[in-house]
Amino acid sequence: MSLIITEQLTKTFNGTSAVDGLNLSIKEGICTALLGPNGAGKTTTLNMLTGLMNPTSGTITFDQRYRGDRRQFIGYLPQYPKFYGWMTGEEYVVYAGQLGGLSKIDATKKTEELLSLVGLDDSKKKRIAGYSGGMKQRLGIAQALVHSPKLIILDEPVSALDPIGRRDVLELMRKLKEKTSILFSTHVLHDAEEICDDIFIVKDGKVVIEGDLVELQRKYQKPTIYLETEESIEYWSHSIKNMDWLRHMQGTKNKLTITVNDIDVAREALLSNETLRKLKITNFEIAKTTLEDLFMEVTAG
Amino acid sequence: MNQWIILFNKEMKEAIRNFKWIWIPLVFILLGIIQPVTSYFLPDILKNFGGFPEGSMLEFPLPTGPQVLAETIGQFGQIGVLVIVLAFMGIVAGERNSGTNIMVLVKPVSYVAYIVSKWLHMSLLAISSFSIGFLLASYYTFQLIESVPISYVIKGAVVYSIWLLFVTTLVLFFSVLFKSNAGVAALTLGITIIISLMSSITPDLLRWSPGMIASHSHSIFQSGEAGEYFWLSISCTIVLIILMIILSIINFKNKETVTHTT
Ligand SMILES: Nc1ncnc2c1ncn2[C@@H]1O[C@H](COP(=O)(O)OP(=O)(O)OP(=O)(O)O)[C@@H](O)[C@H]1O
Ligand SMILES: [Mg+2]
Repeated sequence: MSLIITEQLTKTFNGTSAVDGLNLSIKEGICTALLGPNGAGKTTTLNMLTGLMNPTSGTITFDQRYRGDRRQFIGYLPQYPKFYGWMTGEEYVVYAGQLGGLSKIDATKKTEELLSLVGLDDSKKKRIAGYSGGMKQRLGIAQALVHSPKLIILDEPVSALDPIGRRDVLELMRKLKEKTSILFSTHVLHDAEEICDDIFIVKDGKVVIEGDLVELQRKYQKPTIYLETEESIEYWSHSIKNMDWLRHMQGTKNKLTITVNDIDVAREALLSNETLRKLKITNFEIAKTTLEDLFMEVTAG
Repeated sequence: MNQWIILFNKEMKEAIRNFKWIWIPLVFILLGIIQPVTSYFLPDILKNFGGFPEGSMLEFPLPTGPQVLAETIGQFGQIGVLVIVLAFMGIVAGERNSGTNIMVLVKPVSYVAYIVSKWLHMSLLAISSFSIGFLLASYYTFQLIESVPISYVIKGAVVYSIWLLFVTTLVLFFSVLFKSNAGVAALTLGITIIISLMSSITPDLLRWSPGMIASHSHSIFQSGEAGEYFWLSISCTIVLIILMIILSIINFKNKETVTHTT
């Protein structure tokens, strides 16, 4: 069951498409990542899903069960959250909660709980004007969660954080995933791999790869052999160029990375190769390519 | 209803924290005191420092009570309005420019409540400041110059309040329409000045206009009666106020909350 489906979602700014015919389907109860390099159109897409921006064309459909004002069901953390600096962190989250429909008492209770969850207990009585970027990011997460939305949309929730903050927030998202659907954008594949179920890789406003993360990993993982020798391996490498188990090969004087079709055949062929053995192998390693390689490949070109 | 109160309280808190609830009333209080006091001392000042020959028999009559009240209103209409406009030019535009409206409007917030709560707060602050300033002006006028029937004073003040509401609505309206704070201020001030000026130059052509309100309140101070076509200008002003609020809401609803992604 999809929570949100977009069809041919497009946003044009003065003639150039920031989002170009995007078809997304965000499933309920899981974590979905929108992954893409800078300028891919992630923020633009999320802004249209929240209703803050109007699509130039295309449609956004919410699940039948969540009819009416879609904002009720969504918690949103913008990429660069802007707060009223004159409020304290606590006041802000209570305010957001009340706007989300909570009573003053409930909002205060929920705020208490969330601020300690995101680690802002100590500074909740301070004016937001005095918060650091990372603190604002955490406060932004708290305000997104305060009215217990069905779906939380987080625009680059960890990009502004230090390594520890990043780990905290990812851990927090892992916990949230149990209860809420999450859609978040990132330009770091690793973040997506850590907590996501579904992934959409976007580039220039278009989806280039999409699907279940585990399946994608399986599909795109290819066996790879790393070879290192004492003598130069360059000349020898030409001799295996036309082998049918070979997919791709790249290397330097003493190192070679070989992507292969069939790992068993390749290992057999290489280890029984007399010439290669004479080059004095110092390292023979079998590994798998990751989605990272794929991500780099599709986003670099 | 609940949401209206929450949004209104936020406006209130903000204006208290950045001292708008202190300095705007203060301006009106000062203006309200200065006008009757200087009117009272002016003849003396002129006599002593006016450079007239010793013993000359010139008399400087005190202005009447209604005159002083009308002059006070005149001060409110210039300096007071300027202060109100400058204080509220960013009421909507400011939040949009800084992006603080994003996380508010992404919550299930009614656009009507968002705009109207701002208008209510702004109007409350303007009317309160005016009331306290005018109360003091009346007090000193009564003490130093002469008393004016209380009912005239109250009636005149209520009528003038409608002009102030027109001004606050104009600020809100332009603040929804335009991005630039300076532009909002210039347009509001420009329009209020033109309306007031035109109404005093060609009153026959502008009987309906909000710019006539000040002169109606003057004549109420004088005689308890407003001038001709009083109800025409009052009803036109109220219609204009309602219209501008509605247009502000419609325009605000139709505008994209986010127009760029950085
Ligand atoms: N108001 C605007 N006018 C013109 N172009 C715009 C506007 N807003 C966004 N863009 C363009 O739209 C494209 C997509 O921007 P967007 O911010 O959605 O990308 P993103 O994936 O969020 O990038 P980042 O990782 O840097 O946050 C960019 O090329 C950007 O320059
Ligand atoms: Mg972005």
